[in-house]
Amino acid sequence: MTTPLLEVRHLSKEFTVRSVGKKQGSTIRAVEDVSFDIAPGETLGLVGESGCGKSTLGRTVLRLLEPTSGEVVFDGAVVGADDTSLLRRRAQIVFQDPYSSLPPRMRVGRILAEPLLIHHVVPRSEIGERVGSLLSAVGLSVDLARSFPHQLSGGQRQRVSIARALAVEPSLIVADEAVSALDVSVQAQILNLLKDLQAERGLAYLFISHDLGVVRYMSHRVAVMYLGRIVEMGAAPELAIRPLHPYTVGLLSAVPKISAEGVTVRIDIESPNHSDIVGGCAFAPRCPMAQPVCATDRPDLAEWEPGRWAACHFASQVPERLGQPIATSGGPR
Amino acid sequence: MSDALGAVELSAPSARSAVGGAGRRILRSPLLLIGALGITLIGTAALFAPVIAPYDPSAQNLANILAPPIWAGGNTEHLLGTDVLGRDVASRLLFGARNSLFIAFSAMLLGSSLGLATGLLAGFFGGKVDSVLMRLGDVQLAFPFILLAIAILGVVANRGALLLVVVLGIPGWIIYARVVRSRVLAEKEKDYVAAATALGAGPWRRLFRYVFPSVWQVVPVIALLDVGFLIIMESTLSFLGLGLPPPAATWGGILADGRRNMVVSAWLPILPGLAIMITVLSINLLGDGLASVFDTRHVRGGFRRLRPTTPAPAVDSDGERLLAVRGLHVEFPLPGGTLKAVRGIDFDLAGGETLGVVGESGSGKSVTAAAVIQLLDPPGRVSAGSVVFDGDDLARIGDRRMAALRGRQVAMIFQNPAASLNPVLTIGFQLREAIRHVTDADRGTVADVARRALQMVGIADPERISRQYPFQLSGGMNQRVMIAMTLAARPRLLIADEPTTALDTTTQAQILSRLVELTERDDISLLLITHDIALVSEYADTMLVLYAGEVCEYGPVRRVIASPHHPYTRALLQSVPRVENAAERLEAIPGELPDPRQDRVGCPFAARCPEVMDVCRDVVPPRFDIGPGHLAACHLWAPQPVEAVTS
Repeated sequence: MTTPLLEVRHLSKEFTVRSVGKKQGSTIRAVEDVSFDIAPGETLGLVGESGCGKSTLGRTVLRLLEPTSGEVVFDGAVVGADDTSLLRRRAQIVFQDPYSSLPPRMRVGRILAEPLLIHHVVPRSEIGERVGSLLSAVGLSVDLARSFPHQLSGGQRQRVSIARALAVEPSLIVADEAVSALDVSVQAQILNLLKDLQAERGLAYLFISHDLGVVRYMSHRVAVMYLGRIVEMGAAPELAIRPLHPYTVGLLSAVPKISAEGVTVRIDIESPNHSDIVGGCAFAPRCPMAQPVCATDRPDLAEWEPGRWAACHFASQVPERLGQPIATSGGPR
Repeated sequence: MSDALGAVELSAPSARSAVGGAGRRILRSPLLLIGALGITLIGTAALFAPVIAPYDPSAQNLANILAPPIWAGGNTEHLLGTDVLGRDVASRLLFGARNSLFIAFSAMLLGSSLGLATGLLAGFFGGKVDSVLMRLGDVQLAFPFILLAIAILGVVANRGALLLVVVLGIPGWIIYARVVRSRVLAEKEKDYVAAATALGAGPWRRLFRYVFPSVWQVVPVIALLDVGFLIIMESTLSFLGLGLPPPAATWGGILADGRRNMVVSAWLPILPGLAIMITVLSINLLGDGLASVFDTRHVRGGFRRLRPTTPAPAVDSDGERLLAVRGLHVEFPLPGGTLKAVRGIDFDLAGGETLGVVGESGSGKSVTAAAVIQLLDPPGRVSAGSVVFDGDDLARIGDRRMAALRGRQVAMIFQNPAASLNPVLTIGFQLREAIRHVTDADRGTVADVARRALQMVGIADPERISRQYPFQLSGGMNQRVMIAMTLAARPRLLIADEPTTALDTTTQAQILSRLVELTERDDISLLLITHDIALVSEYADTMLVLYAGEVCEYGPVRRVIASPHHPYTRALLQSVPRVENAAERLEAIPGELPDPRQDRVGCPFAARCPEVMDVCRDVVPPRFDIGPGHLAACHLWAPQPVEAVTS
């Protein structure tokens, strides 16, 4: 096994929320005791519904938010609270909203020159040339360097965001819902671009998305998050075809499909609040397989089969009891 | 509905035209122009006072005191007369303008720089810096600064312009600081600042390179209004004898002199008073005008529904059909050119049928939905075609009739349910109101109807939900409430515009299956607008694929999905990664949407089509019959090859 590029160990992030009329703020555990690895050149997909903590996790990994506890090891070195320089140079982020993630009053050329200037990547005289090569690497015309972000389309802006992330020649890019705001025809272009860049440069991705189809397409391995915790993790095709956690089954069967085959396991009540979960499995109130033990004991994320992790007391029974949420017949068209 | 307009705002040509639009709005605003003209004249006069002024402002001529202005019998030597020391009033007013404007302007520069700096620091660094600066500001605001100014100026023996600038300027900082701080607080949370952090940009770089360029624009408008206020303050101090010491000419000083000789020469105090008033008025007109020009949210004029001027296309009668849309064109006349959002769409909807309308942003799908229920965002209008609902052409019937149909016969649910609900009223209250408005339920039964409506959409405990406010519920719950509210009227046609796009996948599945179940049970026709072709394939009976405001393909869902005949439909099916499909590589559609402002020749998809032929670029493809009820607007299916004709 190769040395992981990124190791996340027992990472937690809490937010304190003050509400009107209450003296004591309440604590929201957005990310709880999350651990995973990403190998060089690998894509780990992180999937979950809104509020599950996946974006917070992405930002905490990059130290854009300070973790409450746990540690991040990047390329063998623990990332300290005050020493983020290695991380800033070798890990980058691409955000969802191509309209708010670019500074509105900077020209594209300047946006791309910023990281080069901050890290002295190339001598000043070569910056113009480097900006040009970054633009062509993401399939944009060099002339766009003179444009402001508002003069570009959503797809073009997202390409600029990717070019900015590439400027420091990172080994890891966190893509936080990077294609969710794009139209489907443009989304495919950007996904293919990200795949091509990975092949050319050996990039690793932490690919965060609520869209299981996109995650399956992009990822080698997938982690499913539910209320701040990873409930299932495993290789993308196996996880999609034979999930080991009831939540993954529900999630997969809820995805609208063009070929309507496979079982339908409807999760019929809505996600509860973080604070409502006291002990036991957070998914138990919605789970079709819940047993008395699920309300009292929280299952740990355990390796049930080689490379297949699930946080469920009855993971081994899930495929048999709930069945396959998607048809396996549909291979590549 | 916002879909098409959103695309307009964001596309490149319109961004440029928005700037041009501001220019045009300036020219169309007479009050702003008057203000600008006034400021320019007064400013020029003040600047060139030494050149223009006929006399030295302090040159006394005791032989000619209190001469009247020219219109009150004076002579041309002293157009505005002379004061009690025989000094020329016109020259004194000109030099007064020079002094007053200089002091007010400098004080403004001092206050605004101080305020900008503190606002930036307080907002960006927060914490202790913020608390200290803002508490200082509170103290400042609580203290009557004019008293402080009087006290300071009263004890200082020689008052120079510098002292006045400091005393007047410093108290203004808090006005700027507060506004700048709140803008910084909003701006620093944006993703581009987080991206800069991820790039390794330090706090000062983030503040000055990223945040500052987006926030400084709030300063000039405040500054302009501040100058007006400072001119009055400076004049007040001068009037009280605390301004520049004599013999310097100031408007306040001239006013004070004039007041003493009012009985003899009534014009003396009036002239400086007029000067102050005109200056401040001009500044305020300019400031307000600029604020409204650059505030793009400011929409002038009300909403008026415009009817098409062209005759309605003929619609053959068919008993099965509830809705027939024929040759629908929708336009948005905008400053940068007319946006043709929908360009000739036809479809039918039978009673109880679910029609899925699929397209990307800019396809015209939401505009079509809005046109059916006649709720187009201004300035949108149906420019041609007809929307025949149960025999009535909704595009042409009167507003009153339309209002009577809307909500009762034709209803609509939107993407963001929380925006359609009143945040300060409980769910139950709003639901009961809606039910009483659209049905004949009386007070006694309405609560019962409301409870059943909530149960119907899958809400297990209607009593609890009824007592809650929209913000206490999740997006999915709010959308259920909206559906309950809408269906309570038993409409015959329901339009759902991206009803689940903002919701989680699991919630989407619950809500859509419930919605389709209810519309089937009650024989309600459903127009389901979505960007997700898979959603249509799961829930709709027929589907309409739109691209750039035109129909690509139309037909029964099973047929279209099984054998898509338009290259765009095929691309839509292949370019989306599917969880059930382990594709190695997606077929991306190259390029982007055509400009919705431009007139077109040929097929709208030609530029991106993998199967494009010569004819596609010149000739609009007619809709060819593919099978029963299945149409595709593509030259590939022409019975005979079409010759390209150039018109």
